[in-house]
Amino acid sequence: MNPAVSSTSTPVVLAELHRGEACVVDGLAPAELGTTPDERDAMLARLRDLGFIPGARCEVIARMWFGGDPIAVRVSGSTFALRRIEAAAVRVTRAAVVATGVAA
Amino acid sequence: MDVAVEIKPLRLALVGVPNCGKTALFNRLTGSRQKVANYPGVTVERREGERLSADGRTQQVLDLPGTYSLKPTTLDEAITRDVLLGRVANVPPPELVVCVVDAVHLPIGLRLALEVKSLGLPMVLALNRMDVAKRRNVKIDVTKLAAELGVPVLPTIAIKRGGADVLIEALDPALWIHHRRIAAPAWIEATAEDAEQRQKDLRGVLEAVGYHAPVENPWFARLDALLLHPVGGLLILASVLFVMFQAVFSWAEAPMNWIDGGMAGLGTWTAAQLPAGPLTSLLVNGVIGGAGAVLVFLPQILILFLFILALEDSGYLPRAAYLLDKLMGGVGLSGRAFIPLLSSFACAIPGIMAARTIPNWRDRLTTIMIAPLMTCSARLPVYALLIGALIPAKTVGGFNLQGLVMFVLYLAGIVSAVMVAFVLKHFSGARTYSPLMLELPDYQWPHLGNLLLGLWERVKIFLSRVGGIILALMIVLWFLSSYPAPPPDATGPAIQYSFAGKLGQLLEYIFAPIGFNWQISIALVPGLAAREVAVSALGTVYSMSAAGDDVAGQLSPVIAGTWSLATACSLLAWYVFAPQCLSTLAVVKRETNSWRYPIIMAAYLFVLAYVASFVTYRAVSAWA
Repeated sequence: MNPAVSSTSTPVVLAELHRGEACVVDGLAPAELGTTPDERDAMLARLRDLGFIPGARCEVIARMWFGGDPIAVRVSGSTFALRRIEAAAVRVTRAAVVATGVAA
Repeated sequence: MDVAVEIKPLRLALVGVPNCGKTALFNRLTGSRQKVANYPGVTVERREGERLSADGRTQQVLDLPGTYSLKPTTLDEAITRDVLLGRVANVPPPELVVCVVDAVHLPIGLRLALEVKSLGLPMVLALNRMDVAKRRNVKIDVTKLAAELGVPVLPTIAIKRGGADVLIEALDPALWIHHRRIAAPAWIEATAEDAEQRQKDLRGVLEAVGYHAPVENPWFARLDALLLHPVGGLLILASVLFVMFQAVFSWAEAPMNWIDGGMAGLGTWTAAQLPAGPLTSLLVNGVIGGAGAVLVFLPQILILFLFILALEDSGYLPRAAYLLDKLMGGVGLSGRAFIPLLSSFACAIPGIMAARTIPNWRDRLTTIMIAPLMTCSARLPVYALLIGALIPAKTVGGFNLQGLVMFVLYLAGIVSAVMVAFVLKHFSGARTYSPLMLELPDYQWPHLGNLLLGLWERVKIFLSRVGGIILALMIVLWFLSSYPAPPPDATGPAIQYSFAGKLGQLLEYIFAPIGFNWQISIALVPGLAAREVAVSALGTVYSMSAAGDDVAGQLSPVIAGTWSLATACSLLAWYVFAPQCLSTLAVVKRETNSWRYPIIMAAYLFVLAYVASFVTYRAVSAWA
C-alpha cells in the first residue's frame, strides 16, 4: 500500500462505515473484548479465509438497526453478513481517501 | 512420501465452498442414484451417489458438506476435513478429490483448493458456473490455472445438460492408473504465517490466470437494497412467509381431496370384493384407512418443501437470517437458526439436523430444543380434523374463523418457542461469542431439475415412513383393538373389551383432568411414533367401536357429535406442544450425543402440553 495513504487517513474499522461506503482492508485486529483468545483466533482466521485480507476492496451493502448489527459487506465480489464484533475486527481505509492518496 | 499406492479412482469426493454449485454438480454426476444417510456417530447428512465410469465400473461419489477452510467452525466443516483425512470410521479417504470452484468467485474457492491440494490427495478442479462467469466478463486462463496448480482443471456448467462432460471424461479410471498417492494424507493446522503464505500464493495464481472481479449485476444491488432494508426487508420477509403458509393450505386442497377420495374408494371397493371377516377388517380399517389418513397430507408437505427449497436455491434464506439475526439474538438465538426453524414447520427432524450449521453450541442446542414447537406438518391433520369438526365455518371480522383458529395455533407454537428460548438463555449462564460470518450468495433462479430432485427425496422419505413405521403401527393397533373379542353378553362396543380399550381406560386416569376420553387416550399411544398417526388411530378406534365397518372418513361427524368443545380445544392445545414424537427425540439423542437433552425435551414438552391443555379445558368448560 502507498504509505501516504495510511498516514493521512484516520484509522477506522469496517463496523463504522455507512451504507454505500467503500474501503480497502488494511488488516485484522480484534479490538472487542468478550471473546476468548481461541474464539478470536478462529474469527480472524475465518475472516481471512473469506477474503478480508490487506488490499481487498469492500463495500457496505446494508446495515441493520442497532448500529449496524449485522452488516452486509461485499468483498472481492462476494457478500457476507458480519456481526458488529466481526466487522469491528477489520481495519480499513475509506476508499475516497485511497483515491486521493493514489492521485497525489 | 513413504508408501506409494496405485490409485483407481472409484471413490470420489466433491469438496467446495458453500454455494459453489457443488450439489448441482453432484446431481449431474449421479443423476437420481443417490442416497442420503448419516456419518457414523453424528447426523451430518452424508450424501452419496453412484455413477458408471467409462470402463463400466461403479464409482462412488461423496458430496462433502461445503466449507471455506479445513480449519472448521461447525460440525459440518469438521466432517469434510475428517473424511478427507480418513479420520471417520468406516469412511475410507477418497481416492480422487473433485474440488469444485465457482469461476465467478474464484479467489475464495481457489484458496480452499490450495489448502485441499496441500493434503496430497489426487485432485481435479472443476471450474463451475462458467456460463455465469462468461456473462459477467470473468476471464480465466484455464490452461495456465492447471499449470499453476499442477492438477487438471475442467470447466463445467453443472446446471446444464452435458455441462459436466469434460469433467466426466477426466474421471475415467483409465486416465489415473499411473498416478500414485501417498498412503495417508497429512494435515497440520495452519498457523497465521501459513495462512498468509497461502494468501500470497493465491494472489500469485490469480494474477497469473488473469482473474479480475466479475462485472457487478445491477439487479443484485437493487434486490439487496430492497430485501436487506431494515424495514422493507422485514415486511417482505413477513409477506413471503404469509404467502408460503397460505399456499400450503389453499393449493393443497384439491390434491388432498383426490387422495382422500381415492383411498376411500379403494376401501369401499376392497370391502365389497372380500368376504366380511378379520382379514377384510384389517385391510380396510388398518391398512387402507390408516395409510390414507396419512398420505392425504403429502401435498402439503411437498408445497412447504417446494417453497423452502426454492427460497434456498434463490439465495434468499441467508438474507432472511441476516434480517432476523439481532431480533433472534434477543432471545438467545442466532440468525442462522432461522433456516432450521423454518424447516421445522415441515418436520422437526430435518430442522434439527439443519441446526448443525450453527457454530455456537449453546445457540445450536437452543435451536434444537425449540424446533418441535414449530408446528410441523404432521400436526396439520389433527388440527384440520378438529377444526373442521368443531369450529363453525363462519366469518369473524372479515376472516374465516377456521383459518383464524389455525393461525392462532401456529402463533401459539412460535410464541412458546420464543419464551422457552428466553428461559433457556437465562439458564445457560454466560453468553459466549457466536460467529455469524454468513455468505449472502448471488441471486439466481431456482433450478427446476434440482428442485424436483430435492422434492423427490422428501417424497421417498415420507412414503417409506408411511409404508414402514406407520403401516406397522396401524396393524398393531388394529390387532390391539380387535382382540380379545368381546364376551357374548357384551353391551358396549367391541373395542371396549380389547387390549387397546383396557389401555385407554388406564390412560384415561392421567388424561381425564384435561378432558380426554379413552378413545383419545388410545390414539395418543401410536401417535408417539408419528404424530399424524393419531388421526388414523382415532379413525380406527371409532370405526371399530361403531357397529359397521365404517372407513375413517366419517370421523368428523362422530367427533362433532360426541366430543365437547372443551375436549377438542384441549386436544388442540395438547398438539401445539405434542411431546409425543419418538423420531424427533431419537434425532435429538443422536445430534447431541446424549440422553440428557431428549429427556429434558420430552419432559418440558409434556409438562407444557399438560398445563396448556388443563388450562384450556377448564377455561372453555367454564365459559361454554
